[in-house]
Amino acid sequence: MFAQFFGSYLLNHNAVSPNELTAAIAMLADTHIKLGTLAMHMGYMTAAEVDEVCFLQTREDKRFGEIALERNYLFDEQLDELLKTQIPDYLLLGQTLVDMGCLTNGDLEELMVGYQDESQLNEEAAANETTETTTKLLTNFFREAGKEISEYALMYMNLIFNNLIRFIGEDFTPLAPVPCTEYEINCCVTQHITGPLNCTSSIDMTQDVAVAFASRYAKMDFTEFDEYVEASLEDFLNLHNGLFSVNMSNTYAEELTLDPPVQETEKVLRLTDESFVIPVIYPFGTVYLLLTV
Amino acid sequence: MSKNLTILVSDDSILARKQLKDVIQRHTPDVTFVEASNGQEAIDLFREHKPDMVFLDIVMPQKDGIEATKGIMEIDDKADIIIVSSVGTKMQLKAAIEAGARDFIQKPMNPVQVESVLESHLGGN
Repeated sequence: MFAQFFGSYLLNHNAVSPNELTAAIAMLADTHIKLGTLAMHMGYMTAAEVDEVCFLQTREDKRFGEIALERNYLFDEQLDELLKTQIPDYLLLGQTLVDMGCLTNGDLEELMVGYQDESQLNEEAAANETTETTTKLLTNFFREAGKEISEYALMYMNLIFNNLIRFIGEDFTPLAPVPCTEYEINCCVTQHITGPLNCTSSIDMTQDVAVAFASRYAKMDFTEFDEYVEASLEDFLNLHNGLFSVNMSNTYAEELTLDPPVQETEKVLRLTDESFVIPVIYPFGTVYLLLTV
Repeated sequence: MSKNLTILVSDDSILARKQLKDVIQRHTPDVTFVEASNGQEAIDLFREHKPDMVFLDIVMPQKDGIEATKGIMEIDDKADIIIVSSVGTKMQLKAAIEAGARDFIQKPMNPVQVESVLESHLGGN
């Protein structure tokens, strides 16, 4: 989940444009991490040293590690460690933006340090995501937007981002949550949860985005907006809320009741002072998550 | 030769019904489906068709899957009812079993689990 939120960090700091970010995210599946990016991330090499080795690679038919060793930018033990290191997924996004020319290695070095500081991330946490580390990440995400949310709401948001990764794809970036009391809908599905936690969640998107979203969710090739596409949106929300109710039951022994999901028919959704919307950018378009807790 | 089975699939999602029917049909080609999109419709269709097996979602309009299970068991206490739901809490499982359900499949549905349930419930059919 750190890659998705690194994208949000880059946008918040005006380091890249939404279009550049979307293009980089779309390329991620075919990208592999480079040793130089990793060496910079570990603090073994500076951005200038990485740039120099990359330049030398255009002149000499040698691997990055070989040149870095020859120049004494890396020691043998460091190179061995890099080759065995688990890679934090947000590094790949940063590297892709460098490859696209949107960032320099120097920019990336600075932004990575800033992101790690802001997220209170250490190497191990970044490489081994746990509920604890992603909860910390989400707390910061909401805090940066000036919103404190409850433990239950954090658990809800943690799960929905994981479910987006699991059922739709990891190639997204969430934008900062925005308070919202009225929302003009496109194609919107809502589900109410009642019990110890009263929560209303909706997902909204245009019909074109819904077709792409549903194709990914149902693993079917939808070409037009129809009842199966509508049902896919309902299914996703219902599945997510069902899994959330299981988590609430297992973790807090709290039993929730789910109403069936419904398609919104009004043009404007009336929300409350507690409501917020999170735009989630996918390469195929933007999905809006609306939550009232 | 296997007898032609009738299976009732009840879920308010047309997509979920299609996905479940596809898995069942791959395992048991000679099957007639009856479909319901809410719990009350499931009870009414059970009464009318007396299916060999019933798959019920929990979160449905009008009557949920637990209520529908109770309604079906009042019609036939030997009904073979399987709950298919994402709401797999211990309390829901207990409620489903107490109502008369014989098995539970957690969504997202794993086709292997559905096939395993079909094997154990339909046996030599």
